[in-house]
Amino acid sequence: MKKQALSVVLAAAMTAAALAGCGSAGSTGSSAAATTAEAAAAATESGSDSTGEKVTLRFAWWGGDERNAATQKVIDQFTDAHPEVTIEAEPGSSDGYHDKLATQLASGTAPDIVQVDPERMPTFVDSGDYFYDLKEYGADTSLFDANYIGLQINGNYDGKQLGLPTGIAGPAIIVNKDLADKFGIDLQKKDITWEDWIEYGKKVHEADPETYLFCANKEYLTNLFVYPLAKQYDGAVFDEDGKLVLSQESLTKIFKYIKDLYDNNVIAPASYTASYIADDLQSDANWLAGKYVGALCFISTMDVMAAGYPDGNYVAATLPVIKGAKDGGFASNTPQLLAVTKSCKHPETAAAFLNYFFNDKTAEETLGATRSVPPTEQARKICEENGTLSKVVVDAADIATAIGGTPNDKIASSDEAKTIVYDAVEAVGYSQMTPEDAAADVLDQFSSLAK
Amino acid sequence: MKETDSTRMKQHYSKRDYKAYLYLLPWLFGFFALQLYPFIMSFIYSFNDYTVGGKMNFVGLGNYIQLMTKDRDFWNSLKVTILFALYTVPGKVILALLVAMFLNRNIRGINLIRTVYYIPSLFGGSIAVALLWRLMFMDNGIIVTALSHLGLKNVTFLGSPRLALPTITALEVWQFGSSMVMLLAALKNVPKELYEAADIDGANKFVEFFHITLPQISPILFFALLNQMIQELQNFTTPYTITNGGPRKATNVLGILLYKQGFSYFKMGYASAISWVEFTIILLFTLVLFGTSKFWVHYADET
Amino acid sequence: MANIFHRNNKKENPDVPTQEKAGFFTYLIIVIIGLILLYPIIWMFFASFKSNNEIFGSTALLPKEWHPENYIKGWKGSAGYTYTKFFANTFLMVIPTTLFTVISSTLVAYGFTRFNFPHKKLLMTALIAMMMLPNTVVIVPRYMLYNQFHWVDSYMPFYAPALLCCNSFFPYMLIQFLRSVPKDLDESAYIDGCGTFKTLTAILLPLMKPAIFSAGLFQFLWTYNDYFNALIFVNSVRKYPISLALRLSLDSESVADWGKVMAMAFVAVIPVMLLFFACQKYFVEGIATSGMKN
Repeated sequence: MKKQALSVVLAAAMTAAALAGCGSAGSTGSSAAATTAEAAAAATESGSDSTGEKVTLRFAWWGGDERNAATQKVIDQFTDAHPEVTIEAEPGSSDGYHDKLATQLASGTAPDIVQVDPERMPTFVDSGDYFYDLKEYGADTSLFDANYIGLQINGNYDGKQLGLPTGIAGPAIIVNKDLADKFGIDLQKKDITWEDWIEYGKKVHEADPETYLFCANKEYLTNLFVYPLAKQYDGAVFDEDGKLVLSQESLTKIFKYIKDLYDNNVIAPASYTASYIADDLQSDANWLAGKYVGALCFISTMDVMAAGYPDGNYVAATLPVIKGAKDGGFASNTPQLLAVTKSCKHPETAAAFLNYFFNDKTAEETLGATRSVPPTEQARKICEENGTLSKVVVDAADIATAIGGTPNDKIASSDEAKTIVYDAVEAVGYSQMTPEDAAADVLDQFSSLAK
Repeated sequence: MKETDSTRMKQHYSKRDYKAYLYLLPWLFGFFALQLYPFIMSFIYSFNDYTVGGKMNFVGLGNYIQLMTKDRDFWNSLKVTILFALYTVPGKVILALLVAMFLNRNIRGINLIRTVYYIPSLFGGSIAVALLWRLMFMDNGIIVTALSHLGLKNVTFLGSPRLALPTITALEVWQFGSSMVMLLAALKNVPKELYEAADIDGANKFVEFFHITLPQISPILFFALLNQMIQELQNFTTPYTITNGGPRKATNVLGILLYKQGFSYFKMGYASAISWVEFTIILLFTLVLFGTSKFWVHYADET
Repeated sequence: MANIFHRNNKKENPDVPTQEKAGFFTYLIIVIIGLILLYPIIWMFFASFKSNNEIFGSTALLPKEWHPENYIKGWKGSAGYTYTKFFANTFLMVIPTTLFTVISSTLVAYGFTRFNFPHKKLLMTALIAMMMLPNTVVIVPRYMLYNQFHWVDSYMPFYAPALLCCNSFFPYMLIQFLRSVPKDLDESAYIDGCGTFKTLTAILLPLMKPAIFSAGLFQFLWTYNDYFNALIFVNSVRKYPISLALRLSLDSESVADWGKVMAMAFVAVIPVMLLFFACQKYFVEGIATSGMKN
């Protein structure tokens, strides 16, 4: 079982790489594993030697309790071994994190090491020379799969490694299998269709009017249904040049689907989920009471969702792809990048810390899967052995990466574009707009974002 | 002539008097640096395209035009902001007045009662209470559950575009305590002789209220209305933390619009334009209130 | 404007002999209103001992099962910081702000009431006008200013306006009070050779104590509850005051536990309630006499 899961993740990483069209240059992953610890130590020493004085680094990230505790521990381990280095942890909330980062970058007051959403990274890279090329300062990426690390979404911008990816993540649907079995539905079946979900939803709600198939709000519907469907229909929302690709016909179909979800009680009424805005979905009282068969989530938040109702028996649902899809739609990518900003005065030391963070076995053991499925095979192996990587997470990573797809483009992933879609999904959910009107309205606003 | 004038001036202000500036120094500095300067700058920003770290680009009325003709949220937000104030201010002040009048009698333990009634006002703008409100009015919350036990099924408060605004304004009205304490003090200070004289004339309670009570407490009532209005037109925390402007933008006050444009997207010029619209609204409401005051506010030295 | 604030020096008369004694129904109504007003807070207290299941879909006030561990779990906080840290931050933010406000307001009120200087009327008008200046209209340039000084993500955006007396409400409150204190007292002290500062500290300050105390209490309360300014000016969790920490407890990557959230919300209101009960006289007098904002 374990071996299978492991190979699946590796395959996932390979698939992701292959899909982006990078030729396989041969993985150096496992061979380098043994020498890593030494390499990391060497890199660290050179990093601190070069300055020879006390170095203070600020490290900012967002996350929940577990991630924060694990990250703090790794920082302590590193600074214990390197007493001349002090690392000030600045954990934060994902809410508003990137807005703050944007100002800090612009005003030159950003922390030295920052966690960045890979979808936000292109905007930052475009707007200024904010990040160091980590390879120039001794970052060791030999443990990463060469194809995986070479993708732009994973931090490689025109050959410059501006960030290091923290793992494999993507959209997922977590399912309480006990409930699914009770209602006699199979959410794990191969070649599931979008329409199957409507049928299942009806069946569930008819059998128990208090229960819905999926826990979802407008933000999750946008990220997990609207955008993936848009990419399946038309290949992309905007193309690389910033031209609008998504057609009105496709978007109308998508909003009709969203309307069907509401009308057939596949998901709870919009007025109900209005109390759980954006990331607050995990605090939905009915989810906490086990009244949903499944929930829309991300691979990186599956464990948190599962902990909300610990009595469930959780599996990952398979994800549907329309016939003749132009793109898989369910892009899997890294959930975060770690980057070193130009406000850092000791980039070598920062790189040395990142080497420890990504390559050292003790660090990997400490971090576990707190940043989703780890990015290197060595780390995944450690997590497998410790049981810190749950099966449902591995399965979900497998499902998403097997389908694959291009990541969201820069415009579609901007806050502004997403807000437009959130509002439209909400309008459809409240039956205040027809799918046709909503689609026309969104595209009208999108056209002003297009270049 | 001029000479005598200046000598009088010199006599008028002694050396000691000039020391006043020493005491006023912190405020003078604060006034220019943190009040007047930002006030003027926000006006200037509002005519510029200006993002943090970027350059100022003069766009004339561009931000205002964008706001009033292209921004889909603006007119709705303006309406919501005004409605928010229209629900909360009279609600709060009238309730405060009613309770104050009810308490304005010979009651033992009045201090304790006043204290207890004041407690909700302690939490003005507190996030703890906002979270509490959200939890209580959710679809699974205690209020909806209680209503469904009473036979009112499928009521929804925070999820209803119609009821969300009244629901969150109820939180503000709940905090009527400070206005009440003020009005209670004012009521206690109405000379009793006035009521006694009215009683002799055979006036009923209704007449007494409009001819004696209201004129006597009108300065305080006016002050309460004015302050509450300025405050509620700027409210941000309540709609932001309970409903985040939703559902369907039903609680999306100008404050939220300003916060998102200014501190999420860092469009400082655009945010400043929003702040000036908000300022204008506050000014208009203040002027209207002052305009009506001569009809109903009576100052002791006028009579 | 001035007569709106006219301070009434008459003590309130607790006995109003001409009015009828309150009867049973009066008390009944008083108790009912009181219960309605306090119910949310009482509910919050008991909800803090409940599990998720009991908070939702139930109208019972008392928990069936008590979960005092909500407090222990909640106190552990989020993002690696406990509520010990958040409380320490809050007081580090609020206490200096309060002290600075009180000191600067006293000086300014003294300057305005006990001296006759050029442009006094104009400056007084400016002071009052600033009471009407909405915070929202200055927030953006202030942010830019603080950003330039690298004050964003520190408590300086709270300290600086307090030191520079930027909330006109407080000096105004003290001005109203000082006007009611006869000038003969300090004038004779001044003639006796006390310097102006000595006159303030030795003669007036003892008299002003209650008013200063009221002003301090309100500044404490408002800064403690303030969410908007904290949200804008404090960025890193390490420096979060309670208000921001509470919002964090519902963050995406923490397991939702409403009992825990309510426990910390209740803990957050305790200092305010304690302060209120300890000093309620000053609160109530402060509002009753000077026309309170909140």
